[in-house]
Amino acid sequence: METAQDAAVSPSPENSRRSFLRSAVTIASGMSAFVAALSPLHELDADDVPTLEGFLQKHYKEMGPGEMQTALARIKREVDKRYSVDSVVRDVRPKEGVEFVYALNLSRCIGCRRCVHACVAENNQSRSPEIQYIRVLEMPRGTIDIERGNHHYDRPTVPDLLHYYMPVQCHQCANPPCVKVCPVEATWQESDGITVIDYDWCIGCRYCEAACPYWARRFNFVEPEIPKEQLNPEISYLSNRPRPKGVMEKCTFCLHRTREGKMPACLEACPVGARKFGNVLDPESEVAHILREKRVFVLKEDVGTLPRFFYYFDERYPRPEGEPALDPLHADEAKAR
Amino acid sequence: MRNLIPLVFLVLAVAFAADARRGVTLPLPGPSGVTMDDLHLGPPRQALRDPPTFQSGPYRLNCSECHALFPSLAEPRVPLLQHRNVVLNHGQNDRCYNCHSRENRDRLVLRGGQSCGFDDVPRLCAQCHGTVYRDWQNGTHGRTLGSWDRASGRQQHLGCSECHDPHAPAFPHLAPLPGPNTLRMGEQESEQAHGNERNPLEKWKARHADAAEESTRGREH
Repeated sequence: METAQDAAVSPSPENSRRSFLRSAVTIASGMSAFVAALSPLHELDADDVPTLEGFLQKHYKEMGPGEMQTALARIKREVDKRYSVDSVVRDVRPKEGVEFVYALNLSRCIGCRRCVHACVAENNQSRSPEIQYIRVLEMPRGTIDIERGNHHYDRPTVPDLLHYYMPVQCHQCANPPCVKVCPVEATWQESDGITVIDYDWCIGCRYCEAACPYWARRFNFVEPEIPKEQLNPEISYLSNRPRPKGVMEKCTFCLHRTREGKMPACLEACPVGARKFGNVLDPESEVAHILREKRVFVLKEDVGTLPRFFYYFDERYPRPEGEPALDPLHADEAKAR
Repeated sequence: MRNLIPLVFLVLAVAFAADARRGVTLPLPGPSGVTMDDLHLGPPRQALRDPPTFQSGPYRLNCSECHALFPSLAEPRVPLLQHRNVVLNHGQNDRCYNCHSRENRDRLVLRGGQSCGFDDVPRLCAQCHGTVYRDWQNGTHGRTLGSWDRASGRQQHLGCSECHDPHAPAFPHLAPLPGPNTLRMGEQESEQAHGNERNPLEKWKARHADAAEESTRGREH
């Protein structure tokens, strides 16, 4: 019977030069395969790695004033470094006695898409790939079947007389399905009716995107790309701060503007005054007048979301002089002629 | 069998290294290039608040200063020799003195003959456009800028002639800004070349129609 000492001294098939070389080559090539597999990490920017501070940050609703200040300072540091700007980062809270409502006049909208691009500029959405909160649908007159709407109309001038235009964005529902499905409570409805997202809490599961009947939520599949000179430096925690990759985002009625009394960016850009915004709890506000006196409807009323975004009409669709009244049922024939 | 292990590792090392060098390129659409300058924020046109003036060399004159010197003729139905830059396209309202005062060119005139200032245009327009005037008073017609809060004092309510040209009040048609090129809605194509195919649903239907056609053709052969 061999002892351990004998085995160390006398070469055996299990402990030969050959077996040493074999295991050395195996380990070396295994290591190099491992290093090669990790090599994409070289391209990882140090800014892309979450900081410990960011990782330990609490949920928005659980942060105290001090913790919020720390979070805002961290966001400012990161944004200033990445975009070479001097940003102003705030946390704007809802006002008492205010419930925001949006109304959109379908008789006036001409489909010029000014609102879409004003929103992108204000809210720091990704330019490539494009993320837009507002979709403008070109709809054949005589139907509100949005399946017949077209996003991609490209005319020399708008409006086209055989169509009307219906912009769709987040409806800030009073009964929001997107909030119900969030598994981590990263999205919720605020007291002024705006549904917000804590981008630092969102895990990017996209349940809310699937739940929304208006397709109002967008997902950052890649790191958003915003040209430095186009970044809006007036940013707030819950709305327009640059989002990281892998989180949801949505229209917030420009809460960093509207909670301070200003108008949303899409409304200011609308050249025809089709967009109306205000506090529905104020009976003299424009939106309260519209809800009382105009013919108003909401999109997909039957799904029970109780939107705060209303579409309305004027008594008469403006029609250029000499243009015959249109029978919507025979619009296609009229076009063929 | 054990001799294969280093070989497998070596192949993997080469494959990983080659893959890392190739990098990942996503088929991303480029940015639309629209900036805030393309949006033309603020009132679309400069409305007159004061009576219009006439510049003659170094002199800036009010219209009435010359028009008072000679009596105004009854309005002719022939094209004017002056004011050729005015394009009148206001429907049936095609007479100058319907709105301009014949006696005093610095004033406008209401239907009953009462005088009306240039800063009081909505009163004039309201004589014919009653429903729109009512909507405008409630804020449901026209543009309200500045603030949604009436109490803030920053609310700016644009008047009729701040958006509409009184001589041709129909809102001009505009060129739309670029359409969406988002990951989900896809790329914009020219309508002339592809008809209704720009609609994602139509694209999907066309693709499935092609596939169905091919499969039936395959069965026939």
